[in-house]
Amino acid sequence: MELMVIIALLLITLGSALSFRVRWITLPISVIALIMVSQISGGKFLEYTGFVVVIAILNLLSLGIMKKSQIKGVDFGLVALIGSATIYIVFTKDLAMILTTFVVVSVPTYMLVFVNDDIPNVKIGIKYVTFMVLATILFVIGALILSYNHNNFNGTVYILGYTLLIVGLALEVGAAPLHIWAPDVFSNADPIPVSIIASIAKIVPVVVALKILIATTSPLTASASMIAVGIGLISMFTGNIGALTSRELGRVLAYSSTANMGYIISAFVVLINPAFLPLAVAGILLQLIVNAAGKIGMFSAIKEGGGATHLMYLLALSFIGLPPLMGFWSKLFIAVSLINVGYTWLALLLVLNSTISVPYYLRVARDLSGNWVLSLGTIIGVVAALIMLVTLLPPSWFVSGVEKMMEFMTFNLGGM
Amino acid sequence: MNPFLFFGILLIPFIAGFIGPLLNPKRATVLSFISFIIPFVTIVYALIGQSFFGLRFARLPEPLGDFYIFSDSISSAFGMVVALISAMVALYSYPYMKHRFEEMNLNVKKEFRKYVFLYQFYAASMLWLVYSGNLILLFIFLEISLVSSFLLIFMYGYGNRRWVAMLYFIWTHVAGALTFVGFLVIGFENSTLAIKDIASVGYIAWLLIFIGMIVKLPGLGPHIWLPWAHAEAPTPVSALLSPLTVGLAGYVLLRIYLIDSWFIEAYRIPIFAYAILTSVYAGFSVFRQTDYKRLLAYSTVSQMGYMLIGLTVGTFGLMGLVIQYISHAFGKSILFMTAGGIIASYHGLRDLQKMGGLHEYIPTISNAALVGFMNLGGILTVGMFGEFFILKGIVDVFGFNLWMIFAVVFVFILSGWYSFYTLKNIFYGTPKGMERPKINRLLDTPLYAIGIISIAFIFPPLATILLQGIKIVLGGVVP
Amino acid sequence: MTFPAYIPVLFLAPIFLSLPIALAWVYRPGAAWARKLPILSVLGLFISLIISLYILFRVPSESVTIQWLPGFDINFVFTFDYLSKYMGALTAFIAFLIGVYGLEYMKDDYRLGWYWFFFNTFTASMLLVVYSDNLLMLLIGWEGLGLASWGLIGHWFRDDDDLSYVGDSKRRIGPLRLFWSPTTGGWRAISTIRFGDMPMFFAIAAIYALTGTLDISQIPWGDMFQKIGIAGTVILLFAFLLGPFTKSAQLPFSEWLMTAMTGPTTVSALLHSATMVAAGTYLFMKITWYIKPWELEGVPGLEIIYLLVLFLGLISALYGALVATGLLERKVLLAASTMSSLGLMFAAASTSFWLGKIGLLVAFWYLMVHAFAKATLFLVAGHLIHVTHSRFCEGDLELGKKMKIGFGATIIATTFLAGIPPLTAYWVKSGMDELMVELIHDVGALPLILLIAVSVVYAAFLAKFLSLNFIKGTRPHHIDLHGGQLMSSAYAIMVSLMFVLLYVIIREIDPSTSTFFEAGLEKTSFLVGIAVLITYSGGLIMPRIRALANVGFVLSDRLYLPFLNDYIIPGIGWVIASIVDHANRGIDSLFHRWVPEFFERISRDIRKLQTGSLPIYIQIVSGIIIAILIIGALMGWR
Repeated sequence: MELMVIIALLLITLGSALSFRVRWITLPISVIALIMVSQISGGKFLEYTGFVVVIAILNLLSLGIMKKSQIKGVDFGLVALIGSATIYIVFTKDLAMILTTFVVVSVPTYMLVFVNDDIPNVKIGIKYVTFMVLATILFVIGALILSYNHNNFNGTVYILGYTLLIVGLALEVGAAPLHIWAPDVFSNADPIPVSIIASIAKIVPVVVALKILIATTSPLTASASMIAVGIGLISMFTGNIGALTSRELGRVLAYSSTANMGYIISAFVVLINPAFLPLAVAGILLQLIVNAAGKIGMFSAIKEGGGATHLMYLLALSFIGLPPLMGFWSKLFIAVSLINVGYTWLALLLVLNSTISVPYYLRVARDLSGNWVLSLGTIIGVVAALIMLVTLLPPSWFVSGVEKMMEFMTFNLGGM
Repeated sequence: MNPFLFFGILLIPFIAGFIGPLLNPKRATVLSFISFIIPFVTIVYALIGQSFFGLRFARLPEPLGDFYIFSDSISSAFGMVVALISAMVALYSYPYMKHRFEEMNLNVKKEFRKYVFLYQFYAASMLWLVYSGNLILLFIFLEISLVSSFLLIFMYGYGNRRWVAMLYFIWTHVAGALTFVGFLVIGFENSTLAIKDIASVGYIAWLLIFIGMIVKLPGLGPHIWLPWAHAEAPTPVSALLSPLTVGLAGYVLLRIYLIDSWFIEAYRIPIFAYAILTSVYAGFSVFRQTDYKRLLAYSTVSQMGYMLIGLTVGTFGLMGLVIQYISHAFGKSILFMTAGGIIASYHGLRDLQKMGGLHEYIPTISNAALVGFMNLGGILTVGMFGEFFILKGIVDVFGFNLWMIFAVVFVFILSGWYSFYTLKNIFYGTPKGMERPKINRLLDTPLYAIGIISIAFIFPPLATILLQGIKIVLGGVVP
Repeated sequence: MTFPAYIPVLFLAPIFLSLPIALAWVYRPGAAWARKLPILSVLGLFISLIISLYILFRVPSESVTIQWLPGFDINFVFTFDYLSKYMGALTAFIAFLIGVYGLEYMKDDYRLGWYWFFFNTFTASMLLVVYSDNLLMLLIGWEGLGLASWGLIGHWFRDDDDLSYVGDSKRRIGPLRLFWSPTTGGWRAISTIRFGDMPMFFAIAAIYALTGTLDISQIPWGDMFQKIGIAGTVILLFAFLLGPFTKSAQLPFSEWLMTAMTGPTTVSALLHSATMVAAGTYLFMKITWYIKPWELEGVPGLEIIYLLVLFLGLISALYGALVATGLLERKVLLAASTMSSLGLMFAAASTSFWLGKIGLLVAFWYLMVHAFAKATLFLVAGHLIHVTHSRFCEGDLELGKKMKIGFGATIIATTFLAGIPPLTAYWVKSGMDELMVELIHDVGALPLILLIAVSVVYAAFLAKFLSLNFIKGTRPHHIDLHGGQLMSSAYAIMVSLMFVLLYVIIREIDPSTSTFFEAGLEKTSFLVGIAVLITYSGGLIMPRIRALANVGFVLSDRLYLPFLNDYIIPGIGWVIASIVDHANRGIDSLFHRWVPEFFERISRDIRKLQTGSLPIYIQIVSGIIIAILIIGALMGWR
């Protein structure tokens, strides 16, 4: 199985190299590579893999909207690499591989953020990279402390590790109060690279954090989780309220990401009761998918100067969490699992937050509203909208998929 | 009656929602009308036959439970009203929205397509809501109706319509969100959300659902959103929003009550007092309104107080609640359509101070308004039973408590007062020298259809069937 | 489900036969052919009349049930007992005659569809009230009366014709203008009636809650009163009686009746004789008939209520009579007199608590006598208004000569109604005197004194009405005599019924009249009769006394009672409405301005962090990270 991955990686590298001459050649090669990597699932948890592949392809396509790129062709390869890592991460149980994957996802975005239609955007790139490096360091240190500490347990160290990991994660995905880089980057960088940073690149850090935290649960998880709850809450409120008065669409979406990450991080508290973990994980993953699909659709529309009215409203409503769109189910699952572990008040704040978000999502939808034109952006929008509509069939299928997948999520650090 | 056939018929409005936009506005209107009148006839037929049944179409894991739809006479009582009003408002929509599109300089044919689609979804989701057998399903229909009505206000409303639409969305979203969490808590306590399987409703769940539905109903305090939304919505939407949508909050509370009534029983007095306060407060607010549609919106708040009163006074109160919903729906849909008639005839006239003596020019609309206000006051219309059962409930539950009797009686008096006061101010008095407009027959005939039915409901056989059916479902102990 | 087909026809015929004109007027108002359709409406009234006469003479005393809400034991129950048989025939007869009169009176009206529809609904509602045994079904008729009276009082909704107003446009007291338009009249009527109807509705629901039945003849009244005790009985019956009190315009609910005169005269005639106001007293008689209070000695609450009714009735009667003496408007004068008569009916009926069924019989016969007389007077007044184009009493002997039938009818109606021996009302009033005399033992002499006072004043203003309109009034500016045949024949027939009643009483055709016929032969009754004759003559000779003009103003201002309806209650309401309005603004600002502004402010603060400067960002982030780590470490320490 791993062989497939290696071949795929080689293909991507090859494609990127070839793109030196013909930019477009990497695109089909990247898609092929992605599909190859997706074979790693061996038929398990196709629900997730499928979504990731579709989202990665959307990201690839969106790059096509850019007139030119400083790293022409290689950008496809980088996205394919992130996509592959995103698929792979779920199925690996090896700590080293997990951390590697994390870095593999993080680093390509450093390059992507510079990409622009004309001259590379160095100033904003440096801002991004600075914080990403810091985030990666904190995250990896936290992960290592937790793993090491698991066998020689010390409460203080556990909590320190947990905190470092969560802080790293927050910084990486742009959760408040460490979101400070996000609005600037989202609004000043080119929308297409941002759409990649804001969508598929958010999945791996969260999954990695989840895996490590699940593997290292201890009796102190309950108190350590307060850190996650605190950051989650601050993030939701900061994101949603911050977005209310922002005018630039990029900024609004940055705050929206912050809010979404808040929902996700607050769901980490479900770790205290493994019985409800599958539902929480399903909620987190769905929320990530919603965030990814919606952001791609909207940033593409920003890049093209507007999208089809219907699509934009549909995406906005899904973000708001309107049934039966996917954004509803993700919040439903998170809320349900929170209530299950006794955090009804948190669930309540979560749904109230979705109310605060109504005005700005609708405003974004209105600002982006335009006519139906046959363009790449519209196609991406349609696919994104279809993803939101998949849950017309109540996604109990996704939950059962996660349940089967939980064996991969809980790996044993005992041997180390 | 075959359940498949029954629910197949209920699907017609949704199907019409997709076919309607393909037709020209006139035909789409006819289709829309037919798509609701067929369910109406079917529901009445089911009510006569007292056929109760359920139909499961999905079994989801815990805590969601069975997704099914079912019909009993409460569903049918609500469903019947929804179908009837939707059918009549569909007819009314054609001339009105044509006028509105022209006023907004929009392409009538093109906009009517969107309108029909949204209208069908809006009305049909409310129809399905009352047949939902699972709380999540119910919530989904609640939200569909919210979005479609939101879009209708957003696109075709009056005044600062975008702001109002947003306001409407946020308030009802808060209501929906609270209720939703409440539903989930129910789901965990019972490991199912299927109405038939839920055994008990805990404190948190009840509280959340109650507060959520109070926001939607609305009670005093949150009521402030309603005048905005109902006044600025395009009138056919107001004519569904106010009569049907908000009252469905009462339906939800009724359903939860029927599952586990302890919450209402435990907090009976404060809820009752709050309901009275809402009714009286909103009743007095009516007198100061200068905008006809806002006035009607406040009257809705007052009438919703009745429903809340009904909820607190035992089995007969529940019957009062159901009938109050029916009666208010009939009356308020007529009244909003009269407001629309005036708007369409006099270029957006809504200011009460500029009205007066309108009976001279638009007698058909004026007479319809009379029937509408009769419904609100429970005079010679089905509302009479509503008031009767609520009053009986009060005696059953509280005995001869002078203050409570006085309060409820005063509420009823007040609604009669503002009804006739408003009639006097708008339609009677010295005419103000306006011209006599030519009224499209679709702007008044549907009003009379509703009016006649509302009166027919106090006489046999309709009254017999309806009340008998509700009684059986509520299991009232009737001497 | 078998029931005689004539029962639904009795109610539906008038309503359905008025629909053609109603619909015609909606679509073709004023068309020549539409003006012929009222004949159909009158035909509907005629059908009702035939059926009610059939019931009176041919149907045995029984009740007929039509299924309505069988699951709740509430059904349409029609009862044909002593009261309802007479009352039904009376209602149908008077309504029919007034209908015929209306054909001419309302010939040129601008709103015929409305008029006939509500006129016939009015009649049908009254018939429903009369024949109904079930209280909820009665309530349908009761509400129908209220609604139809509103429609008819405010019939001339344009408020553009001074003839349709009540009061004097120049008369002002403080902030109040004593001048009421038809729409105001309608509003005052429906708002007052609503005030009484809802408590009554509550009482009905309470009766149902307590006993499980609503059939007046089946309710175990005695047991129920025992069950709820003294306070319960008082609350229940008082709430119930608020309906009759407001409908029959007893104090302090009398104002609407005065301004009800803004309606067409036909409406006033019907309203004051056989429908609306009679419905209140009729209902009181009917429930008393079945409560049988004279058999319920042991229920203390009951006596309180019957005493209340007795004195309220007598005081209202006195108030009405006094006000009537001060008034100069033809119809309003008659309205006040009606109020007075209704008070007497209540008082007489309430004596049944102490004296038995006889009280009810006297009250009921007085109702019938009064109905025909008052209908006649109103119809004549209407004709006079047509002829003179004035609402105020005016007319001298010349006018009397020109309107011989009207003159004659007025003489007959006033003398027969005043209680001059040996004319019709004398016998009934004697019955009343007798009742009050017997009551001295239980209640004291006050009722008798009040009754005599009322009788005396009553005769005076009846004579005044006659005198000021036909004998000693000012000469009218305007006399327009053409037509009028249909109108005069209608009131001629109406007044002739006074003779029929006299015949029925004197020949004792109805055995129950014998008791008060005998009372008329008593000496005391005769003395009262003489006193009445004296004041009647006085009124005839001196209809206006200059010296008492100021007293007359106070009386014609109705002792300032309009302030209650037009100033105090609306004032309180307006204050509350203002408070509520301010509260609404406050809540509106809170939710729709301050809360959003609050969020926006926080939002701007959040965005202020975004300075764009990397060093500052690094400082902030490092600070926050360190802070979080310290928090984490502290938590770990514990």
